[in-house]
Amino acid sequence: MTSKFRGLLGLTTAAMLGVSALVTQADAATLRMAWAQDATGLDPHKQTAFSSLRLLELIYEPLVRLDADLKIVPGIAQSWEFSADGKELTFKLDPKAKFQNGDAVTSADVKASFERILDEQTGAANRANYLSIEGIEAPDAGTVVFKLKQPDAPILTAMTDTNSSIVPASEIAAGTIGTKAVGSGPFKLERWDPNSKEVLVANKDWAGGPTGVEGIEISVLPDESAILAAMRTGQVDFALLNDPLIATLVPNEAKLQLNRAPVLAYHVLQLNPARKPMNELAVRQAISCAVDRQAVLDTASLGEGKVTGPLTMPVYASDPDSLFCYKRDVEKAKKLMADAGFADGFTATVIAATGEPPTAASEAQVLQSQLAEIGVKLDIKMMELNVYVDTWLKGDFDMAVALNGGRPDPYTMYNRYWTKNGNLQQVSNFADDTLDTLLQQGRAETDPDKRKVIFADFEKQLAEKSPWVWLYTSYGYTAQQKNVQGFVPMPTGSLYSLGKVTLQQ
Amino acid sequence: MRILKSIFAHPSGRIGGAIVLVYLVIALCGAFGLTPHDPLMQYRIDRLHGPSASYWMGTDLFGRDVLSRLMQGVGQSFTVAFFSVASATIVGTVLGLTAAWYGKRWDTVLMRLMDVLLAFPAILLALLVVTIVGPGTWTSVAAIGIVYTPIFTRVVRGPALSLKTRDFVDAARTFGSSRTYILTRHLLLNLVAPLTVQVTLALAWALLTEAGLSFLGLGTQPPAASLGLMLSDSRNLMEQAPWLLAFPALAIMLSILGFNLLGDALRDILDPKTRRA
Amino acid sequence: MNYLIRRLAAFPLVLIGVSVVVFVAIRLVPGDSITAMLGTEAGLLTPQQRQSLATYFGIDQPWIVQYWRWFTGLFSGDLGISVTYGKPVLTVILERFPLTLELALLSMLIALAIGVPAGVYAATRNERPADLGVRIVAMIGQSTPSFVVGLILIYLLSVGFGVLPTMGAFTPLWQDPLQNLSQMILPAFTLGCAFAASVTRVSRSAMLDVLSDDYVRTARAKGVPERKVIWRHALPNALVPVVTLSGIEFGYLLGGAVIVEQIFALPGLGRMVLEAILQRDYALVQGAVLFIAFNFMIVNLLVDLAYAVLDPRIRLEGR
Repeated sequence: MTSKFRGLLGLTTAAMLGVSALVTQADAATLRMAWAQDATGLDPHKQTAFSSLRLLELIYEPLVRLDADLKIVPGIAQSWEFSADGKELTFKLDPKAKFQNGDAVTSADVKASFERILDEQTGAANRANYLSIEGIEAPDAGTVVFKLKQPDAPILTAMTDTNSSIVPASEIAAGTIGTKAVGSGPFKLERWDPNSKEVLVANKDWAGGPTGVEGIEISVLPDESAILAAMRTGQVDFALLNDPLIATLVPNEAKLQLNRAPVLAYHVLQLNPARKPMNELAVRQAISCAVDRQAVLDTASLGEGKVTGPLTMPVYASDPDSLFCYKRDVEKAKKLMADAGFADGFTATVIAATGEPPTAASEAQVLQSQLAEIGVKLDIKMMELNVYVDTWLKGDFDMAVALNGGRPDPYTMYNRYWTKNGNLQQVSNFADDTLDTLLQQGRAETDPDKRKVIFADFEKQLAEKSPWVWLYTSYGYTAQQKNVQGFVPMPTGSLYSLGKVTLQQ
Repeated sequence: MRILKSIFAHPSGRIGGAIVLVYLVIALCGAFGLTPHDPLMQYRIDRLHGPSASYWMGTDLFGRDVLSRLMQGVGQSFTVAFFSVASATIVGTVLGLTAAWYGKRWDTVLMRLMDVLLAFPAILLALLVVTIVGPGTWTSVAAIGIVYTPIFTRVVRGPALSLKTRDFVDAARTFGSSRTYILTRHLLLNLVAPLTVQVTLALAWALLTEAGLSFLGLGTQPPAASLGLMLSDSRNLMEQAPWLLAFPALAIMLSILGFNLLGDALRDILDPKTRRA
Repeated sequence: MNYLIRRLAAFPLVLIGVSVVVFVAIRLVPGDSITAMLGTEAGLLTPQQRQSLATYFGIDQPWIVQYWRWFTGLFSGDLGISVTYGKPVLTVILERFPLTLELALLSMLIALAIGVPAGVYAATRNERPADLGVRIVAMIGQSTPSFVVGLILIYLLSVGFGVLPTMGAFTPLWQDPLQNLSQMILPAFTLGCAFAASVTRVSRSAMLDVLSDDYVRTARAKGVPERKVIWRHALPNALVPVVTLSGIEFGYLLGGAVIVEQIFALPGLGRMVLEAILQRDYALVQGAVLFIAFNFMIVNLLVDLAYAVLDPRIRLEGR
């Protein structure tokens, strides 16, 4: 394009669009935010989609929450303690905590919220984590006591989840949870046009207040390159990004800043040990040895991330190099294949979801070329996310490329897969005495140091038995204009610190 | 032979024909592996290299040669376009002919059915088919084929209706020619002209639709390449590696251009109604 | 008149066909509203929990019962409740429709504003370099996928010039016309581009046809100025096929432009249906497809009627 034409085109467009620039400058105290995927619903106990949680955690608050180092800090509860036998957990609530309808948050609301979660009829996502709860008592308005059937160390971590938010007892009684959002968090939801936009206004009654901005306006821009374009032209102050290919472009812009936080979710190649020949330990180990995890990370995510073992939380994670075959060893892999009687390799199908994560197709292709070296021929089958979820839940696959969510506690994170009666046994298809025992021990143990030892052993065993091949953890990305101040990226991906974010003029 | 000559004599036919011919050669080379590199080979050290002497069109995220993938992709896109249009043509023609010939109930039922399909937004119809069956080459073929079948049915039925009442068909009938003979010999032969034009234009559209489906992640499956898939894979790399977008985009534009030009020429040559004196 | 009645009589039949097809198709797709909401966490549900969610989403009954319930609802204007939006389906659709309608009208306007003059100009320069130039540009325009145009436009504008029409947070026309237009101009242009190409081609060839007609020759022979011959005498007749083409295209555009809406983050009908399919919002998919099909048929009927009015040579009965 000649420079003259370029200049002319630029001028006309500028003139054409100048109006809109003026309009958007007007209320600068509102944070203009963008994300590619919108929330899918408003019920804090039922919604598990990443984007739904990001919205709901701005509106609702749990009893306790996690800080940037994954330590448990006060939420609605000011303090808490386990009884000596570990069977009673007592919370003191923050007397300043108020719902957005003006009512104080009381022990009755906490009791009602947890009873709703525990009620099978609700279909609450977090119910499985609370099965040890025997009864909930509210001796006074500011105190809640959870009676437990057995000592349950991870229960406190589970309570940090947005899916365990406290909702008003009155709203539960009215049956309006999920249609009306009334929480005690920093922002009130004023308007929601699904797949288009959300308007949040500051909650003046917020106990942690005041907020740094008067409100947040979230736009859904399904194409991440369009989000970047909108940030470049200053139309968006803050954005959530998924695709490392887009995120890595942000630092090139002088006005923009990229926040990266390692997250707990892990990219993994799930093998299905119920299917031949993945039922053979040697075959699974061979696959693990044949995979060059760093290369998968470098290619699919442009090196944005860290090779990981099964445990992704810094407190419990072991050095990946100490785990089984984390240094690629093709010769060993070939020998293992030969030992198992598959010297000539075999053919298997690997499923992956389209765009979820954005790197899935790339990971599958790198793995395909790596496994080809030991004679394992992979056919890649990309599926629309929902079809993938359906297939995945039925365990109807040879192998699956997945991005699975992580939890701050190893037991909460993995009991669903690797305990004998875990809810997702049909997905992992792998019941193992040692793993089961270690998880149960870790659950009952309340001494942090002893727990570390137990879970280190668990991680080592898991890597060696190789039901899955853990690959890497990536980063959670947010991008912001440099005048946005005070945002703290979290390993859980939480945007909760937006409550304290300010806009510098 | 005569038709080839007329195509050659027609200016846009010449260009369009040449483009289509070149593409056919590329597609064949791609399909038979006559590419500069293995289109699936990942040269990891050379990831995201711009065009150079060894990689004329650069390399992609995996270090695969873009030119080789483009050649394979042309083969793939053409396969999908060809088979989907072929199936739509065959099914559409049979339905259109029988609708015109038997008329009455059969005609009504068929045409209402086609109305149902036509009233669906095309891309959503294709999308539904793909999500139900799961993506893949033959799913794309089926999906695009289903979208175009009603169009062919209509294209055939209209002229077939008017041909049916013409004298030579009546004559054939009185001479006791069999139904099949009349249908194929008299009706079909006279429909070749409008069909050829429609087929050429539909090929162009099928290429576009395949690209659209792949853009939404529902077309050709990796690691195989198709022009649409290459385009959609490249969009988030548009800034780091513009060649990844540019070459497939050009390739797809040129191929559609070729079919459109050829279609225009064929219409001028074969369709006497629009032929200008 | 007879023709009109017959066409209208076919409407309900076709619409029922459409509704059955979409009803079955969307349920054949693996996964349901529950997996769409919970993702892989849906595996943690107990059978009891799953059952109560199925009741909540209204997918606990056999298909035939579900269909009957939905079908009978139609007669009272009840298309069901969208589970994603928590509102009646019709309300959701009518919220999205103005945008789609506006986008369709704007892109048609752009296409006609570019295409008709370009086509007429090319026709008057028949086979001369200017004509060839216009035809080549039109051909290229017609051969470029709209998402390529859209992506390149966004990239060039934001990187090259640092300006971009407002993305997202869509403002309806009646709230702030200027803001709204600045949001719509790029997507409308993107859609209009390809369509302008076909308008150019059709108006050119129609113009050529008309220019060789006897009455035009007569007018020229009588010494009517060439300008007047073209714009007053020839153009109105040459516009007949353009009207038809625009009508058909308009019918398609009313169904929403999935990919362009996706790229430009416009909350239109096309993207709404796509999202509804992905989120297994059955009622919304059914309602929206029915709505789109209905519009499509109405527009096509109007096109046929307009064709008959503009060009009396056409007998509708034969078509």
